[in-house]
Amino acid sequence: MSLLAMAWRYLRFRWLVSLLTVGSIALGVALICGVVALRHEADNALSRDAGLYDLVVGGKGSPLQLVLGSVYHLDSPTGNIDFTEYERLRRDSRVLWAAPIGLGDNYEGYRIVGTEAHFFDLPAREGGGSFFELAHGDTFKDPFEVVLGSYVATSTGLEVGDTFFGTHGLVDLPGAEVHQDFPYRVSGVLAPTGTAQDRAIFGSLTSVWEIHETEERIHSAIQGSALLGSQKERQATAILIRLKAPGLRLWMVDEIGKRSEGIAAIPINEIMRFQRGIIDPVQRALLVIASAVVAVSCLSCLLTLHQAAERRRRDIAILRSLGGSRLEVATLVFLEGIILTAGGVALGLALGHGGLALAAGSIRDATGLVLQSWRMPGSELMALGAIAFCGSIASLFPAISCYRRTPIEELHLTE
Amino acid sequence: MIRLRDVRLSIGDPAHGSCARFKLPSFEVAQGEAVALTGPSGCGKSTLLNLIAGLRRPDDGEVSVAGADLAIMRPAQLDRHRGIHCGMVFQTFHLLAPFTAVENVAIGLRVAGRGKSAIRERAREALARVGLGHRLNARPDQLSVGERQRVAIARAIAGNASILLADEPTGSLDPHTGRGVFSLLREVAAEEDRCLLLVTHDAALASDMPRRFDCSTLIQHSGDLQRKEKAAR
Repeated sequence: MSLLAMAWRYLRFRWLVSLLTVGSIALGVALICGVVALRHEADNALSRDAGLYDLVVGGKGSPLQLVLGSVYHLDSPTGNIDFTEYERLRRDSRVLWAAPIGLGDNYEGYRIVGTEAHFFDLPAREGGGSFFELAHGDTFKDPFEVVLGSYVATSTGLEVGDTFFGTHGLVDLPGAEVHQDFPYRVSGVLAPTGTAQDRAIFGSLTSVWEIHETEERIHSAIQGSALLGSQKERQATAILIRLKAPGLRLWMVDEIGKRSEGIAAIPINEIMRFQRGIIDPVQRALLVIASAVVAVSCLSCLLTLHQAAERRRRDIAILRSLGGSRLEVATLVFLEGIILTAGGVALGLALGHGGLALAAGSIRDATGLVLQSWRMPGSELMALGAIAFCGSIASLFPAISCYRRTPIEELHLTE
Repeated sequence: MIRLRDVRLSIGDPAHGSCARFKLPSFEVAQGEAVALTGPSGCGKSTLLNLIAGLRRPDDGEVSVAGADLAIMRPAQLDRHRGIHCGMVFQTFHLLAPFTAVENVAIGLRVAGRGKSAIRERAREALARVGLGHRLNARPDQLSVGERQRVAIARAIAGNASILLADEPTGSLDPHTGRGVFSLLREVAAEEDRCLLLVTHDAALASDMPRRFDCSTLIQHSGDLQRKEKAAR
């Protein structure tokens, strides 16, 4: 029987204490894994989305709100901006790609984004080609044709050729007005992008305008007020822009701010500011809590092993009397600690990432962030290494104590 | 096989008033010899066993066991020497609770550095030899006290140790079982020409041994020492 098998047998013999020790280590590891992986994935996901566009132009308000509303489909839009601003920007020689978006309706909580057909020509950041790819069907050609983001298609079960009605508002509220006269038809489904765009429905901007102008006319008629809609200038919720060179972003922001009624925001800057100001401190606090849990777990492991070694002074002495060397008995106790630590780390990893996988759907629904739950970032590996190191050190103390002990007293051989 | 000459050993801590001095001018045991170590409690019987097993080192003198001088051995060599040459049997059996009978014997062989291949087979044979071939997979708590001591004897003889050191092996057993265990020890020692050193308070058992060594004068305790020193002054 090898020392490893003997160590395993001893742990099995006092299974409850072993299980509790593994559980407490696992809890700390799961917390650390969860927090580190969540932080890494959230950073990645936020940057991935923010990196799609160099600039977002919208109505006056908070730049962060503008970015969250138009890039992540999370917050309310800041306000509209004249469509002429889009036309001006599209003609700007520094602009590589620009698309207007118009918001106002949703289907089962997924926003219907009115835009133009060339929205899908957004160039990919790497490797050439378009960022968007169609999984099924085609892009919209006519008003009231829509293309579904991949997650919308999965979640709602809509397929190419299906029709549905949009609901007024950006979130799915009970009793909200359903646009029964304007059925949308699904013309295509996008391939997954791993961004918030997977949670949107894309149709033509003219259909968004038409629905809301008609609604306004009906509401005005009911109230007996004069119709303003037809005289109103066309507006967009925001304009998404990709520049020919990212270095132009700051100049353009300044220029747009001075020239138009709206504001321009650089998504990546806003998101980094948001991360540093709000997300990072929360994550740091969580990390401190998780580290404290791990420290307590390691202490608990040390205590368990120490108590086990104390209870087994007689067994250790027996092994010595049978010819076992100091090194062998110390190795046996050390291996027990290593098995407990390894078990705790493995279980903690499974719990942490499993928990993240379970929460990924809710996180995507709530925030639009697409998390790769089972990916292990380098920082997590480092944290795990540190935990394994602490566990090994904790195992070393009782092992050294056993190494130093003489077997005579425990065997009651003295007179 | 065993030779001790002019052995001196201080036991305990004089600062705490628990000092005793062990002194043994000469003690020899030939191969295959069976010796009962007798004397009152605390007289030095177990200390003598410890010295032979290499669990204690003398302050002075020679302890030679199976042709090796224990005084010059490093701790790891002593451990290995003990594992190979000495089989130990204790009053309270000292079996390892998580392991079955056959595993307890096999672990004894393993830590004594025996080859892996034959360990389990040898453990089975040893248990069969002490009449426990049918209890191989029983854990200590599933065995009677007599059976536990038989497992301990199987563990001591499994590795072909040339010296059996038994410290009150019948002390925890009823007279009938104790007699059985005693007979078994004598038998396995005689069969394979092993030395048997048996510590006992049982005069009847001691009288059945071919040789008795009285240990009653081996240790002088601190009280006696102080009285002697005062008388000398």
